[in-house]
Amino acid sequence: MSDYTLLYILFAPFAGAIALIFASNRQALLVRGIAAGSAGISLLASLYLFYAYDPVKGGYQFVQKYEWSKQLGIALHLGVDGIGTPLVLASSILLFAGIFVSWHIKDRTKEFYIWLLILAAATIGVFMSLDLFFLYFFYEMSVIPMYLLLGMWGSHTKKYLEMTDPEGLKLRDSVGFIFNFGANSKEYAAMKLVLFLSAFAVAALMGILLIYRYSGLNTFDILQLREHANLMNIPVLGTTLDKIIWVLIFFGFASIAPLWPLHSWSPVGHAAAPAATSMLHAGVLMKLGHFSIIRVAFEILPDTTRELMPIAAVLCMFSIIYGGFVAFYAKDTKYVIGYSSSSHMGYVFLGMAALDYISLSGAVIYMFAHAMATGMLFAMAGWVYDQTHTRDIPSLGGLSNRMPFIAGCFVIGCMASIGMPGTVNFIAEVMIIVGSWSKYPLQVIVAVVGIVLTLAYLFKMMRGLFYGPMDQKYSHSHDAVAAVDRLPLLIMISVSIGFGLFPMHLYNVVRSGVDPLVARITQVVPVAHTGEGAGMTGVTMMPERTPDVPLVANNPVPRTPHASRGSE
Amino acid sequence: MTFSLTMSPSDLLLLLPEILLTCWLCVVLIVDFSFPRLPKEQLAYLSIAGLVGTLGCLAWFDISGISGTLFANMFVVDRMALFFKMFVVGATILVILASMEFVHRFKFFRGEYYFLVVMSALGMMFMASANDLLSVFVTLEFSTFGFYVLVSYLREDVASNEAGLKFFILGVFAAGLLAYGISLVYGETGKLVFSDMKSAQATPGLIIGFLLIFGALGFKIGAVPFHSWIPDTYHGSPTPVTAFLSIAPKGAAFAILLRMFFVALATFKPTWVLLLVAASILSMTYGNIVAIAQKNIKRLLAYSGIAQVGNVLIGLAAGTKMGNDAILFYLLTYLFANLGAFAIVIAVSQAIGSEEIDDYSGLGRRSPFLAFSMLIFLLSLAGVPPLAGFIGKLYIFVAAIKEGLYTLITVGLINIVISMYYYLIVVKKMYITEPHDPSPLAVSGPMKAVVYIGLAGTLIIGVYPQPVIDWVVAATMMFSDLAGPAAALPTVPPVVSSGG
Repeated sequence: MSDYTLLYILFAPFAGAIALIFASNRQALLVRGIAAGSAGISLLASLYLFYAYDPVKGGYQFVQKYEWSKQLGIALHLGVDGIGTPLVLASSILLFAGIFVSWHIKDRTKEFYIWLLILAAATIGVFMSLDLFFLYFFYEMSVIPMYLLLGMWGSHTKKYLEMTDPEGLKLRDSVGFIFNFGANSKEYAAMKLVLFLSAFAVAALMGILLIYRYSGLNTFDILQLREHANLMNIPVLGTTLDKIIWVLIFFGFASIAPLWPLHSWSPVGHAAAPAATSMLHAGVLMKLGHFSIIRVAFEILPDTTRELMPIAAVLCMFSIIYGGFVAFYAKDTKYVIGYSSSSHMGYVFLGMAALDYISLSGAVIYMFAHAMATGMLFAMAGWVYDQTHTRDIPSLGGLSNRMPFIAGCFVIGCMASIGMPGTVNFIAEVMIIVGSWSKYPLQVIVAVVGIVLTLAYLFKMMRGLFYGPMDQKYSHSHDAVAAVDRLPLLIMISVSIGFGLFPMHLYNVVRSGVDPLVARITQVVPVAHTGEGAGMTGVTMMPERTPDVPLVANNPVPRTPHASRGSE
Repeated sequence: MTFSLTMSPSDLLLLLPEILLTCWLCVVLIVDFSFPRLPKEQLAYLSIAGLVGTLGCLAWFDISGISGTLFANMFVVDRMALFFKMFVVGATILVILASMEFVHRFKFFRGEYYFLVVMSALGMMFMASANDLLSVFVTLEFSTFGFYVLVSYLREDVASNEAGLKFFILGVFAAGLLAYGISLVYGETGKLVFSDMKSAQATPGLIIGFLLIFGALGFKIGAVPFHSWIPDTYHGSPTPVTAFLSIAPKGAAFAILLRMFFVALATFKPTWVLLLVAASILSMTYGNIVAIAQKNIKRLLAYSGIAQVGNVLIGLAAGTKMGNDAILFYLLTYLFANLGAFAIVIAVSQAIGSEEIDDYSGLGRRSPFLAFSMLIFLLSLAGVPPLAGFIGKLYIFVAAIKEGLYTLITVGLINIVISMYYYLIVVKKMYITEPHDPSPLAVSGPMKAVVYIGLAGTLIIGVYPQPVIDWVVAATMMFSDLAGPAAALPTVPPVVSSGG
C-alpha cells in the first residue's frame, strides 16, 4: 500500500519542531500556530488512518519500508495493526489537546513546544515501528524531552521550598533530600525519571540485542523475526535463553508502564511536570510499555509469553491496590491522578496477562480510554494549579463557583476514569473483567475493588477541589472561558463519550490486531471464527474461551499466520 | 632484512599528502617569521588552507583507490590509513578554527602555535600509516613531540606547566615502555613488520613485549590503567590543545592498535580479547564513575573521554571486521561530538572566563545557541537517539554481541545510564538553574563554524548513517580475510531455521 499517512503523522510534529527553531519567541502567536498546525496535521492524518484502517483485512497496514542500514539490518519499517492504530490516534489527540492546554506558557514558549512535539512524535514513532531498532530509537528519544519539560517548565511539590535537610540546612541538593519521598524538587523528579527509564531501557536493549544475535538473521525487522527467529530451547545459565530475553524485554518496558515495583518514578514525574507533559506522560508515554511488550515479547516470543505472563498477573494486583491506596491518601492533585494512572495501568496488565481475545482487546481499548480520561484530569489539574498556584487538596475547595465549566468537565473526567457506562472506559473495563474471569478470578476481584477505590479517591478529590467552602484567596481564579482553553477538554470528552456510545469501529480495529496475536500465543482460534480466518467481522461478544482439547485438535493454528498478518 | 631506499615517482605519490603538508608547514613558519606584524588569524587561515588541500588530496586517494606500501613495508597507504589521516586532518582543521580566538591568551609564540598543531597532525598522519614497530615508535614520538610543547603553552599558568610536566614525564615513560617492548618483540621474532609476525610463537618475551607496546598505546588513548595523566593534563592545557589531544591521537593510536592486533597478533586473538575486555570494563566504569564527582567541565570531559575509549575498546575486543567498522564509525561520531563540546567550552570560557560547571548556570537563557549545541553534543556522547553517538554505541554493541561478549555489553549498557547522569547534570545547570548573571554571551565567527560542523555531523550521522557506514566498511576491507578465520569462535549455534 503506497500510502504515506504514517509518514505524515510521524513527521508533521518533527517538521513543526524544526520550523519552530527558526521562529522567534517574540512572535508568540506564530510559535503556537506552528505547533498547533503541525499537531493538527498529525491529528487529521491519524483520524484518516483510524477510519481507513480495514479491520476485515487486518494485519499490518499502511506499511512503509525504507532501507536504513543494510550492514546492521535496520530498515525504517513503519506499519500499524489494530493495536497500534488506536494508540497513534490517542497520541495525536493528546498532542493536539496538549498544545492548547499549554497555550498560556509564557517562559520560553518556543522551546516548550519544540520538546513537546518531539516527545509526542517519538511516542507516535514507537506505535508504528515494525523494526526493533526504531522501536528502541523512538522509545529512548521520548525520554530526554521529558527531562527538559519537567526541569524547565515543571514545578516543585508544595513543601519543597520550605524544606530543610536533616541538619537544618537549606541545601536542597544534599543527600538527605533524596530520601524525602513526600516532597521533591522538579530537578530530582526529572533526573529520577530519566535514569529510571534509561536503566530499564538498556535492559530491554540487551534483550533486543540477544534476539538479534540468536535469531542469526542479521535483521531487526519484527515481521521477519516473528516468522523466522527460533529462540526456544537454547540453554543459558541454568535456564533457557528465551526466558532471559523475555524477562529483559518485559521488565525493561514494564518500567515505563509502570508496573508495581518499578513505578516510583512515575507519580513523582507527574507531580513535577507541566500539565501538557503530564497528559502525554500518563496518556501515551506509559502505554509505550504495554505496547512494546505486546509488539516485542508477544510477537517474537509467543510460547514464552504464554509461559511467563502469569508474572504480570501477580504484579498487576499490587499495581492496582497499591496505586489506589496511595492515590486515596495523597494530598496533591497530581499525585492522586499519577497514582491513579499507575493503578489503572494494572488493569491493562491484567488484560494482557489473561491472554484472552476479549481481555487483550479490552486492555488495548483501555489504553485508548485511559489516555482520554487521564488527559482530561491532568489538563484540569493543570488549570486549577495555574489559577490557584497550589495542588494541595485540603487547602482548596469550593472552586465550582469560580470555574463551573472546569468543575463540570472534571466530573465527566472522573466518570470516565471510573468507567461509567457511556464512556469508552466502561467498555474496556468490562471486557478486561469478563475476559480474565475464567483465568484469574482473584485478580478480577482485586480489579473490582480497584474500581471502588478509584471511585473513592476521585470523588474525594472532586469534593476537595470544587465543593465545600472556598478560601477567599482563590476568589480571583477564573474559569476556562476562551475557546482555546475549552477546546482541548471538549475534544477529549467528546472522544471519550463518542467511542463509549459507538465503539464498533474501535472494537473491530482492535480485534483485528488482537485476534491473530492471541491465536498465535494460545494456539487456539476464536470460536466464532472457526473456518473463516482470523479477520474480524462482527461485534458478536465472544463467549469465554474455553481451551478444551477438541478445539485445539480441530483447529490447529499454523505458527506462521502470514495470511492474516502479512505486511502486504 | 634489507631496506631498499630507492624511490620511484610513484612511491613519492603515496607520500604526497605528507609531503604537501610538510612543505606547507615550512611556508607557515616562513610567513610567520618573515611578516611578524601579520595578524595571526591570517596564519590560521593559511594553515587551514594547507590542511584543506591535504584533505582534498587524501579524498582523491580514497576515491581513486590509490594504495601501496613504501620502505620495505614500513609505511602503508590503504583505505584505513586514509580514513585515519582524514580523521586527523579534519580534527586539526576544527581545532585550529576553535583556537583562533584563544590564541590571544598566549603571550608569546602565537604564530608557532599553528606550526606546532599542524606538525603534530603530520606526525599523526604518519602514525596512521605505520606498519612496523620502528615506524610506530618514530611516528608516535614525532606526534607527541608537538604536544609536549602545546600542552604547556600557557607559560604564565601554573596548571598548564604542571600539565606539561606531567604529560612529558609520563609520555617519556611510555616511550620507554614502547622501546623496550619493541626490543623484546624484535629479539623474540627477528621481525619488525606486522605482517611478518603472523607465524610467531607465544613465548614469554613476545607476550611481555606486546603487553608493553599495548601499554604505550594505551597511554596514548588514555585507557585505564594508563590514564593517570589525562585529567590533570586535560585540565591544565590550553582548551583547544585539550580538544586536539582528546581526539586526534586517539584516532591515530587506534589505527596502530588495529594493525597490531589484526595483522601481527591475529593468531593470539583469544588471549588479547581477554586483555581488551578487562581494559574496556575498567575504562568505562572508572571514567564514568569518577566523572560524576567533577566540578570542572574539562575534567568532566576528560573522564568521559576515558569512558568513551572504553566503549571503543569493546569494538576492538569483538575482534571482527564488523568490530573494526564500528570503531571507525564510533571515533567519527566522537570526533564531532567531542570537538563540538570542547568548542562550546572554549566559547564559554572566552566569554565568562570560567570552566567550572557551576558557571554554566542559565546558559540556556544567556546563549540559547551554545546551550542547545552543548545539549546535542553531550547527549550524543551519552548515546541518545537520534544523535550520532547512539548509532555509534549501537554499532559497537551489535558487533560485540555477535561475538558473544555479554559481560562486556552489560557493563557498557549500565555505563550508558551512569554517564547519562553526569551529562544531564551539565544540562540541568544550563537549562534549569537560573543564571548568576543574565547578560548574553558573544560567540565568534570561527567558533560558530566549528559548532555548526559539529552539529551537522552529529545530527546527520545520527539520522542517516548509511553513507558513513559504507565508508568505514570499505575502509577496513583489508581485515575481512584476516579476521575471518580467527572469528570462527565456537559460540554461535547457527539458527536460521524456518520457524515452522
